[in-house]
Amino acid sequence: MRKPINILYILLLMTFVVAACKKDYPVDEDGLLITARQECFVSSFEILGPDFVTVRSKPAVIDTTAQTITVEVQFGTDLKNLYPQFQLASDCKLDPKVTGKTDFSNLASPRVYTVVSGNRQIRKPYTINITVQPR
Amino acid sequence: MKRTFQYIHSVAIVALLLTLAACEKKDYALPTPKDGLQNDAIKRSLGPNIVGQQIEFAYAMAILPDKGKISSAEVEASIEGAPGTFLEHRSYYTSSTNGADVGVVIGNPSTTDKNKTTVTFTKDTMAATLRYYYVIPEAARGQSVSFTFTARSSNGQTVTYKLGPYQISKMSMTRLITVSDNNLAYFSIEDMKAYNAADAAANAAKIDLVYLYRTYTTSTFTHALVSPAADAQYRPDITLPAGVNRSTLMRKVFNLQDYNLAQLQYGIYIDDKDLQEIDLSTSPNFAINLKAEAGVWVETADKKYRAYIYVNSVNNAGKSAVISIKRYAL
Repeated sequence: MRKPINILYILLLMTFVVAACKKDYPVDEDGLLITARQECFVSSFEILGPDFVTVRSKPAVIDTTAQTITVEVQFGTDLKNLYPQFQLASDCKLDPKVTGKTDFSNLASPRVYTVVSGNRQIRKPYTINITVQPR
Repeated sequence: MKRTFQYIHSVAIVALLLTLAACEKKDYALPTPKDGLQNDAIKRSLGPNIVGQQIEFAYAMAILPDKGKISSAEVEASIEGAPGTFLEHRSYYTSSTNGADVGVVIGNPSTTDKNKTTVTFTKDTMAATLRYYYVIPEAARGQSVSFTFTARSSNGQTVTYKLGPYQISKMSMTRLITVSDNNLAYFSIEDMKAYNAADAAANAAKIDLVYLYRTYTTSTFTHALVSPAADAQYRPDITLPAGVNRSTLMRKVFNLQDYNLAQLQYGIYIDDKDLQEIDLSTSPNFAINLKAEAGVWVETADKKYRAYIYVNSVNNAGKSAVISIKRYAL
């Protein structure tokens, strides 16, 4: 009677041991999954005003070769308080992160955002060139 | 081993019996109504309590027919209400045919003596719900106000119900101010009023905004509120009256149809706290391309006032707009 119980316990213990050995998925410093993907680009770009309405006067032009995003904003846009929105390739992330309102008022020195690929090995800086629509 | 099994068995049976007993349905007993005069009150209006606006209450009272009838209802406010404060002398019910409020007159129109408003019943009434409209006086600005509702019956009984305290906002509000490009183009936040060029020159130190309407083929300018001190490209073809030169910070907003200002279906209210906390330090001093149902947060150059200006409607052909304002003195 005692022997089968012991075997049962050992089997249960083995199951736990096996489960505990399951491989962890690698995550980066933000707790995001690091994958095998190498794609690294911006697929679409939007820019919103402080009223959360788009300030673009026409679609943004994304040049993935030159790594630039050129966008014309409406005349009278409050350039100090804008919310950029990036759509990136799968598993990519952005550096620096967009945490809220961003100041784009210094047109002479455009802001640069770096796209980091899913495997976190490739980094591509994108320059955001903003022009203001003429009146 | 066998004894243990028997023990467990009997415990299980007892537990089962207890469970069954617990499921036994209790008979419902009809509650016995209290046989005296009773009352209840609720506040019906929502949002911030703004000076000049009403706070609406509903006061219900009832007595069993064999005990007597209601003789009077009275409301006492801790701060005397502004003219227009009244207690309805009609008791309303909802029509079963069209859902409308139907009023049944129960007495004479209310009389107000200082902070007490009274209705004396003239009809034999056993139950009534009267509405009370308190017009917030200037004296109550920034203070809190409480209400005591009292009902009296013919058998000598008196009941009271207290509501409050309710905080009265420090802000002021003015609705539906017309601004127009060629006439009433100069707006003062201090006065909450639009002026023409001649009057603007006379009140130059108070002019915070200039309204203008422009159309261009290259950009969408349309309706705009611009500081007099804004860059000239944002106020084209405007010759400012002498002395009009203030710079007002502004932030455009969309989808903030404050109920008090817009009176639309949206249950959004801007109260004192919103105006106290908003940071406009990095905002520009112009807001162009304003649309109907949009708005702007503004802060005057002397940091004396913060306000929310809501655009009720725009008229492109008439080059005008109708705006409403909630203003908070800092």
